Amino acid sequence: MRHVTRHVMAALVGLALTAGIVYTAETDAFTPAQRSFWAFQAVKKSPVPAVKNQQWVKTAIDSFVLAKLEEAGLQPNPPADRLTLLRRATIDMTGLPPTQEEIQQFLSDKSPNAWEKVVDRLLASPAYGERWARHWLDVARYADSNGFKADETRPNIWRYRDYVIDAFNTDKPYDRFIKEQIAGDELYPGDPDALVAMGFNRHWIDETNAAALFTRRQETLDDMTTATGEAFLGLTFGCARCHNHKFDPILQKDYYRLQAFFANTSFGDGPLPLKDPAQRKKYDGQKAVWEEKTKDIRTEMNKILEPLRAAKLESGAHTFEEEVKTAISMDPAKRDPFQAMMYHTAEPRVTFDEEPDARTLRGLKGDNGKRYAELKKQLAEFDSLRPAKLPEGQFMIDIGPNAPATHVLRGGNFDMKGDEVQPGFLSILDPTDAKVTALPNSTGRRSALAAWLTDPKNPLVARVMVNRIWHYNFGKGIVATPGDFGRMGSRPTHPELLDYLSANFVESGWSIKKLQRQILLSNTYQQSADLQPKAAEEDPDNKLLSHWPRRRLEAEAVRDSMLFTSGLLNTKMGGPGVFPPVPAGTISDLSATAAAGGWKSEKDPAQNNRRSVYIFVRRNLRYPMLQEFDSANTFESCDFRKNTVTPSQSLDLLNNDLILQWAQSLAGRVLNDSGLTPDAQIDRAFKLTYGRAPSAEEQKIAADFLARQIPIMTQRLAADAKAKPPMPTNMPAGMDPARAAALVDLSQMLLDSNEFLYIN
Amino acid sequence: MADPILNKLKHHWNVSNRREFFTQAGSGLAGIALAAMMAEDGYAAGVDPLAPKKPHVTPRAKNVIWCFMEGGPSQVDLFDPKPLLDKLALQPVPPSFHPETLLTAQGAKPSDGLFPARRPFKQYGQSGLWVSDWLPHIAQHVDDIAVIRSCQSDAVNHVGGVCQMNTGSILAGRPSLGAWLTYGLGSAQRNLPTFVVMQDDKEILGAVQNYGSGFLPATYQGTLFRQGDTPILNLKPPAGTTDEQQRSKIELLQKLNELYGRDKLDDTELDARTRSYELAYQMQSSAPEAVDLSKESEATKKLYGMDERETAVYGANCLMARRLVERGVRFVEVYSGSGSGWDAHQDVNNNHTKWCKASDKPVAGLLADLKARGMLENTLVVWGGEFGRTPFAQISAGQTPEKYGRDHNPWGFTMWMAGGGVKGGQTIGTTDEIGLRAVEEPHHVWDIHASILYLLGLDHLKTTYMHNGRAERPTVTGGNLIQKLWA
Repeated sequence: MRHVTRHVMAALVGLALTAGIVYTAETDAFTPAQRSFWAFQAVKKSPVPAVKNQQWVKTAIDSFVLAKLEEAGLQPNPPADRLTLLRRATIDMTGLPPTQEEIQQFLSDKSPNAWEKVVDRLLASPAYGERWARHWLDVARYADSNGFKADETRPNIWRYRDYVIDAFNTDKPYDRFIKEQIAGDELYPGDPDALVAMGFNRHWIDETNAAALFTRRQETLDDMTTATGEAFLGLTFGCARCHNHKFDPILQKDYYRLQAFFANTSFGDGPLPLKDPAQRKKYDGQKAVWEEKTKDIRTEMNKILEPLRAAKLESGAHTFEEEVKTAISMDPAKRDPFQAMMYHTAEPRVTFDEEPDARTLRGLKGDNGKRYAELKKQLAEFDSLRPAKLPEGQFMIDIGPNAPATHVLRGGNFDMKGDEVQPGFLSILDPTDAKVTALPNSTGRRSALAAWLTDPKNPLVARVMVNRIWHYNFGKGIVATPGDFGRMGSRPTHPELLDYLSANFVESGWSIKKLQRQILLSNTYQQSADLQPKAAEEDPDNKLLSHWPRRRLEAEAVRDSMLFTSGLLNTKMGGPGVFPPVPAGTISDLSATAAAGGWKSEKDPAQNNRRSVYIFVRRNLRYPMLQEFDSANTFESCDFRKNTVTPSQSLDLLNNDLILQWAQSLAGRVLNDSGLTPDAQIDRAFKLTYGRAPSAEEQKIAADFLARQIPIMTQRLAADAKAKPPMPTNMPAGMDPARAAALVDLSQMLLDSNEFLYIN
Repeated sequence: MADPILNKLKHHWNVSNRREFFTQAGSGLAGIALAAMMAEDGYAAGVDPLAPKKPHVTPRAKNVIWCFMEGGPSQVDLFDPKPLLDKLALQPVPPSFHPETLLTAQGAKPSDGLFPARRPFKQYGQSGLWVSDWLPHIAQHVDDIAVIRSCQSDAVNHVGGVCQMNTGSILAGRPSLGAWLTYGLGSAQRNLPTFVVMQDDKEILGAVQNYGSGFLPATYQGTLFRQGDTPILNLKPPAGTTDEQQRSKIELLQKLNELYGRDKLDDTELDARTRSYELAYQMQSSAPEAVDLSKESEATKKLYGMDERETAVYGANCLMARRLVERGVRFVEVYSGSGSGWDAHQDVNNNHTKWCKASDKPVAGLLADLKARGMLENTLVVWGGEFGRTPFAQISAGQTPEKYGRDHNPWGFTMWMAGGGVKGGQTIGTTDEIGLRAVEEPHHVWDIHASILYLLGLDHLKTTYMHNGRAERPTVTGGNLIQKLWA
């Protein structure tokens, strides 16, 4: 994980001195080196290179990879065996291991396109979207809460997560995916999905009770600018907040030019339009009838609330800056765009909804309170006429057609305004102002940004996404720093390949699945993970890809694979985040989280076994098992995850009650499948976890282990209730209990072992 | 023929032959992975990434307890009295202090006016060091304390500041000082983590990046201890599990992993994972014992302020720090106000009253307790935050002066050290007359780090690790020893 702080100057200066790099101060001139830097050159589709070992080439990818290997005098590895390959691709594509049936089917399929069939099956699986959405959610800094001390829940942001899952599953063209996330509201009005997609820039961390509204607003803009620059352009835009980027041709002006696209955006949380126009019409009609019939009642209710509204306005406004107070109290029609923005930002703190909560209503005293309660009852009599509530979403939109001015801010400081700038792109690519056409209710600015980002001539966008896909397939990108295509990032190991794939990507209609397919069908992907001595010597980092890079499952895949293997995984898709149990002691040390609603427990235990992508992402309390295994930091875009080995991971695997429960379930599966022969049980346990039968050596190790555990379990079974060992779930009759309990231990250790935890 | 494994590792280890590698491997995780090979080669003994290593210079201290006041305590309110602030109260920072060059984090303006210390200062001890009455208990120990008034950081904001104070860089990704120390010195024990972090409130800003191992092997990263009798999540085996049963399970796991890894010897991570179960197992018994304060006397608990509501949490953490150090933990970081508690942008008076109260008695208790047990001479106690606070006020709309706050000040702030070979009763360096910038003997974070390493016996220039073709060191590109600390 690379972290871009907002104040990087000093460290970068230090690095610059170290590296002997000379940079120019505040100037708009780019050096020839910057102008010729690879990432800013147009994508150039090179011809597929000729190779000696033509036999090895299955897709064009192989020619590019093999050409480099041959040049270095290295050989690619032979393909991995079929089981290894199936397990690798199944986990890579779906985040889950293959089933026994899938293994049998592939191992026995002698047709020449057996592998192709597997690949197409995996890409069509709904689990594919759940797996790959998680990668994009890392990049999008997705979270279900605000962050900061209060860390309030964002109750409807989960629709964005579901949108991303659906986008991957339906292979939404990447250009459309970008357009919807940057300007879905402007480009596809009335489309609820496009509005939900606007959640991409609703993930800013937010201190909703901050007194300093100017700063809070600026932080939000900085978040959007940095995240957009990093996610789509693969550049560390954040470095240019305070000064020209020290290494890359990103002027400070460019940072604010990019920011200007978002100058009039704010939260637009609220009801989502119905997709079907007929339904929408029906809803509007119903609503009009209900409103007409209840008009008098509601008018009177509102009148009663007036003093409360006035009080809320006064008490809510008093903490703000003078300018904000003015914006709040002035005639709405006279607010300039900046005042309108300040009012909009302050609004939730100075107003309340038409139907206020119980706490607000406690402010109604005496007759007013009584009368209000009566009216409420009367209103309820019309409930049958009222249309069902629309689903609600959380997203970002423009608050009107006229944006406040955007200035270059000296030192990134809101109070230190420099020159005013207009929306624009990277000056090195296009120094002119963006051509923007305002819409009736929106500035139209983001439409222009979306168009630029999805212009096939943009040198960065396709490359960055192709590289991300490659990164998640191989554990390392062609550019090893997926979020930094700049000078301090890595250079592409295979620039021609990156360009070839990027050009293809655009030509194919920005299809991620087609790109995936091309990668999976390549021999490069199918190589074994063995390390050849010569390759170890000459290419220790495997930059040339002479072998498959073995790696540990990511956090979510660890948990999901265990649940799946235990037969417990609940494959229900979508909906609000879930709260599976956390280890004892997790909550107590985070007082703030408790205040924000903490970690509720699920009423339906099946919810605990949902896929990890559906676990509620609370910024101040990342789900411990996932955090332990290096899940993404949710405070900023995460372009790649760390890979750590810690004793706390081992404690989790050994002692976490949940994993023990999963082992009980797995042992139950084993017993119910295999009957009562000890050898058959061991055989089954290995097949369920590793997808293969145990070797004679493994069979013996497991049998010895069971023999050792049985007397221990016998003792525990004879002891008092508290010491009774956990037994297999749904244990069949006739099973020796001590042996059954020992099988739980065996099952757990198989789940914890390296063969289960690594993709080979 | 060249040795393939050696060559793969050469990228990370600056060695020219296999024997030399094995010698160095003793200090790194890669070593374990090669245990089997080494056994064949007759190097069976002593391969352990945490094996104690020979220091570069004679160590003055063995352990460090870092009392990290997160959020930035105000130097001019605590250790660095500035009478001029009273004279120029609420007047703009005079031009001679070049306020125009300042860039404050939350936009406090030097023109908003200098803000006098919130509390009176007094001289204490034989040495007559100045301390404000916000810290009456620490003040009793000034003769053991060296106050460094001229600290400097590069960070304007917390995330970068806490990160630099821990790792030397405001950008995440470098190893933390605790990780470097364990890498450089190894550990005297195997039952507990070598580097422990404790927080008293919320998550430390930037969390794991502050105690991670960066590009060093993961074995050196810090472990976050939680409050209560289970300092580490999942520390307790499931109810009813017997020790024999647990051992047997781990043994099975090791055998399975050994079979899996037999043809994958080049992959050091696989063996590191296998090994981490051993440490996990040992922690199960050692960690609860280490944090079990029930055996401590009431007098000791009182000394740390555990009998008072406000000081109970930090007091318990400081007492735990002593117990951990006693058990051979090399580096303990005890956060006060974790999650930026000390960040007094508004109402510095209220904020510092709270956090000084919460930490003063516990820190003083720690010093007294270490001294009484003869541990202070081996234990370096460090006090400080990621930066200090501005001598001028940060004013929000409608505030009266008693509610003013202070913004971040990385240009000149106070830290102190005691024990571990440090000469107490002295002040080092000065800030200007308003306590804004370090003027005499300015000391960057890197100097602090270099000096801590030196007190522990490590030369920061020799404590290196090859990474991306560069021999990286804890002090990045700087680091001057603060000789006065021990001279």
